Amino acid sequence: MTRILFSDKLDNCVAKWRSAGLTVIGPVQGESLSSYATVERGTDLHLGLVLPDRSLKELFFPQTEPMLRYTIKKNEIETADFTAPSAPRIIFGARPCDASGLAIDDPLFGWDYKDEYWFQRRKESVIVTIACTKADDFCMCTSLKLAPDSTKGADVLLRPLDKNRGWLVEELTERGREAFVIISEYLQEGSETALPTVEVPEKFNLDACVTWLQNPENFDSKFWKEISMRCIGCASCTYLCPTCHCFDIQDEGDTYSGIRRKNWDSCSFALFTMHTSGHNPRSTQSARWRQRIMHKFNYFPGKFSVNSCSGCGRCSRQCPVDMGITETLQEISKL
Amino acid sequence: MITQEKYRTTVKELLANGSIKMAIGYRPGSTSDRRRPLFIRTSEEADQLVLDSTCITNLSGYLVTEGLLSDEKRVGIFLRPEGIRSINILAAEYQLNVDQIIIFGFDFTGREVRALQGQTTGDFSALLSEIRENPPLATKEPLLERIEKMNAKERFDFWQQEFSRCIKCYACRQACPMCYCRRCIVDSNQPQWVNTSSHTLGNFEWNVVRAFHLSGRCVQCGNCDRACPVNIPLRLINQRMAKEVVDGFDHFAGLSPTQEPVLASFKKDDTETFIL
Repeated sequence: MTRILFSDKLDNCVAKWRSAGLTVIGPVQGESLSSYATVERGTDLHLGLVLPDRSLKELFFPQTEPMLRYTIKKNEIETADFTAPSAPRIIFGARPCDASGLAIDDPLFGWDYKDEYWFQRRKESVIVTIACTKADDFCMCTSLKLAPDSTKGADVLLRPLDKNRGWLVEELTERGREAFVIISEYLQEGSETALPTVEVPEKFNLDACVTWLQNPENFDSKFWKEISMRCIGCASCTYLCPTCHCFDIQDEGDTYSGIRRKNWDSCSFALFTMHTSGHNPRSTQSARWRQRIMHKFNYFPGKFSVNSCSGCGRCSRQCPVDMGITETLQEISKL
Repeated sequence: MITQEKYRTTVKELLANGSIKMAIGYRPGSTSDRRRPLFIRTSEEADQLVLDSTCITNLSGYLVTEGLLSDEKRVGIFLRPEGIRSINILAAEYQLNVDQIIIFGFDFTGREVRALQGQTTGDFSALLSEIRENPPLATKEPLLERIEKMNAKERFDFWQQEFSRCIKCYACRQACPMCYCRRCIVDSNQPQWVNTSSHTLGNFEWNVVRAFHLSGRCVQCGNCDRACPVNIPLRLINQRMAKEVVDGFDHFAGLSPTQEPVLASFKKDDTETFIL
């Protein structure tokens, strides 16, 4: 016997969670873009999307965020911190790749400095993922040794039943269990079989790629120039990526007062590594693309023992010149 | 298919006899409806060339890649009429020497691809004049018509809503052949002229700066619009600005490599007093 959440109870669940003080967030298809957004009813959720255009990352690490307000006076500098807004929430219908992305970034944000904005939001969010029963040409979780029903980063995993009737409930963490206690009256015991997860073909041999990347001789390989020749140097891939986490700190205001903000930044930009002297250690786009790949599959795992990629495929899906991690690792696999 | 084969042969010949050092074209992408930019330097690479109605991207921006043309050798490039206009603007703005560019012109009606006759920008002047008479601006954009009917407040709200999605990835800038500045104003940080934050003000600043800088320069190739990962209808802004420039200055961008850039020229007898 397993617990089942039937789709026709979803509206009740959303209402119940909301009345328990949780903000309910899930995939929503807007007029021209899909993203994870706040909903008021279960019917506002678009659970049939392969995955939203925008990743889950931005609900934890927004594109711009105020950190402190400062005023410079004659004898002192007054500062006032902004803290991450306290808002318990449940994210319903996240994709396993997006949830994995959060788990991948946890050690990074808690490494030498504990990023309180990230962890405040992590602590207050219940992540309910739905196993994937469809994929598109760009999905590649299996190539990253993850799966359409990966539980990484999730508090509850739901497995879809046929005909959109509902989901089998697998509670994975205490936080997940507590959130489902709130809606327990809408859950039923049953012995249904979930739909099989989608087959996502493996697109490259990750281990072979990692070995190649770890070989210092390949740092200067002409491969990097060839593969990135068409890269136009925008940040579409990094900003849509569920794990890319680089940011810049900027003071906005006049000489005497302003707001210090934390803004997304990208290794694709020339400015990212530009020194004050004008010298740029990553002076070409190929050096910047190499950095992105090396960071995800060599440096990051070297430090945190996990690849900084969850296989969502957004980088390739949205690239204006049809590049991306998939093609690069496929080509490395052939070397 | 015939056009594609013909061009493959032409590219091979020109590479073999040293007339060009490289040709920039298209090859198959990761799905059947996607094309990737292709840099052809060998006969084998020429065999990868595809030319069909999915070859939409304006490739002319690659010509101003640092160092590409500095050896004074010639480069061939596959361009539709908008792309040819881009080359003319880049030449008029002294970004490249048109003598170094061999144009492989093409266009399509529906799915039917045809070659455009000519090799240098001058060969296409009649075609471009014709486009001027029948400008792409005339194509009906239902959304643009809707925006035109709005009052100032509604229009502001509309764009505020659209720009709220901007993540400042600068894909629009990077994809645009006209955005060749070695250092964009938004990347100048001493002082920081434009906010880097992608909040409402920062997003407005960026998109308005871009709209003005492209006035009288945009050829409506649509690269920015297609590159935008959050689907902001950027083409509409540029389309509208192009119309202003045609109406106000009788300037249709990209007609010839010697056409005076509208934003970089002035007359002593200008009726406006603010410049001189």
